[in-house]
Amino acid sequence: MLNYIWAGLIISSFLFAIGYDIRDISGDKYRNGQPLLLELAFPEGYDSAARRVAVEIRIAPDQYASFYRTDQAPAPSYPGYLLQTKEGTQLRFAAGSKLPEPLATIGKVSSSRDGELQGLLTGFTPPGGTAGVVFEPVRFVKLNAIASAALDFAKTGAEIALGLVGVLSLFLGLLKIAEDSGIVFALVKLVRPILRPLFPEVPADHPALGMIALNLTATLFGLGNAATPFGIKAMEELQKLNKSEDTATNSMVMLMAINTAGIQLVPPVLLLALMGTQVNTLIFPILITSVLGMIVAIVAARLLGRLPGYRGSDPNRKA
Amino acid sequence: METVRDAISLLSYFVLPLILVGFPLYGLFKRVPVYESFVEGAKEGFQVAVRIIPYLVAILFAIAMFRGSGAMEALTQVLNPVLGLIGFPAELLPMAIIRSLSGSGSAALVVDMINRYGEDSIFVKMAAVMFGSSETTFYVIAVYFGAIGIKRTRHAIAAGLTADVAAALLSVWVVRLFFG
Repeated sequence: MLNYIWAGLIISSFLFAIGYDIRDISGDKYRNGQPLLLELAFPEGYDSAARRVAVEIRIAPDQYASFYRTDQAPAPSYPGYLLQTKEGTQLRFAAGSKLPEPLATIGKVSSSRDGELQGLLTGFTPPGGTAGVVFEPVRFVKLNAIASAALDFAKTGAEIALGLVGVLSLFLGLLKIAEDSGIVFALVKLVRPILRPLFPEVPADHPALGMIALNLTATLFGLGNAATPFGIKAMEELQKLNKSEDTATNSMVMLMAINTAGIQLVPPVLLLALMGTQVNTLIFPILITSVLGMIVAIVAARLLGRLPGYRGSDPNRKA
Repeated sequence: METVRDAISLLSYFVLPLILVGFPLYGLFKRVPVYESFVEGAKEGFQVAVRIIPYLVAILFAIAMFRGSGAMEALTQVLNPVLGLIGFPAELLPMAIIRSLSGSGSAALVVDMINRYGEDSIFVKMAAVMFGSSETTFYVIAVYFGAIGIKRTRHAIAAGLTADVAAALLSVWVVRLFFG
């Protein structure tokens, strides 16, 4: 199933991206090659011999709206400068200008090395007044966006994984002490009555149950940093009971399902940061929802595992 | 409510120190060579992290492409009339979709909704409950199964997504019950 979902995500992103891009091209969203009319004023005066002249750019809102067929409005004026060369005069908006759409998108394509929106000035007659500016043509924005998103997040993926090294080492080290000193075994005896029904494949005195208990405790108290290493260790223990190398057992799916339900007694720290103390009123709704969600997850994991297709692929099924 | 929250958060201050201090202390008591044990276990940390990389990259880049393509907007438009029938608010649909795909994406969406609807709005409450009551399914699958090299996940996705759909519907319903 993951094969299809994964390929589906990639293929559908391509289809949607190309679809949106074709719509933009056929609707001429970016008015490629056509001059946008604007007013130029020179606060420091105009000097035809200077290479660089400071300029104040004003775009009439109704002119902008009808040109790009948008309801977005430009700011009253933008600082910028003219760059006069033999090849022609470039108009550049100061970097960091708050541009309305679709100018902001155009600015990503038609920009100078310093990230300034730039275009070729046409119909400019010194010293100032109305002129037109033509930007670099903008095409296939979405197609570019998905390609760069893929590259960005490939990097993010590796960074997240490597970022786990320290915390993983810490907790895997502590867990080794817990194993060697018998804490895990004591824990197994404690949680056996609760966890055994959920993980019937696991032998009654197997350390996997202890690891699962630690994983669930850490999750319960909102200790995501500890929960992940504990969960991974629990998976490693479950893998020892797996007859296959690369196929998940029912117990693994159950552990995963319980973890995606993410039951927590304390609201996530991130939510507290985003919403402030407002979160206090949400503790019980969150708790109720996640308990019910976890029940659904457990039932779904158990029932789906009984479907003929999934039962057949169970690496631990009895022949 | 206040006191319950206080009690729980007070307790959660002690869980981590208990593990950090309690485990070695108990090990010492049981005459385990604690330093040697720790180093032995910690050695695995790097390998596990490296083992996760291919799984995480595979999942994250596909989801990033999907989000960047504008497919979300199209999906929202298609699903809206269907969800209207069961009383699921259209405002919550992007959150419901992105919750299982991306943790940072759904956090950003909560911020966006706070800006758009205001902190007291019922939509923000629903989104926050949705955020707080479930985990990022695809991330969990990538990390947990990646760490032990499981490629064929069988019914993990189906079970995870069933739970996610249930959690999304329940968030709306429970918040209505509390604040409706």
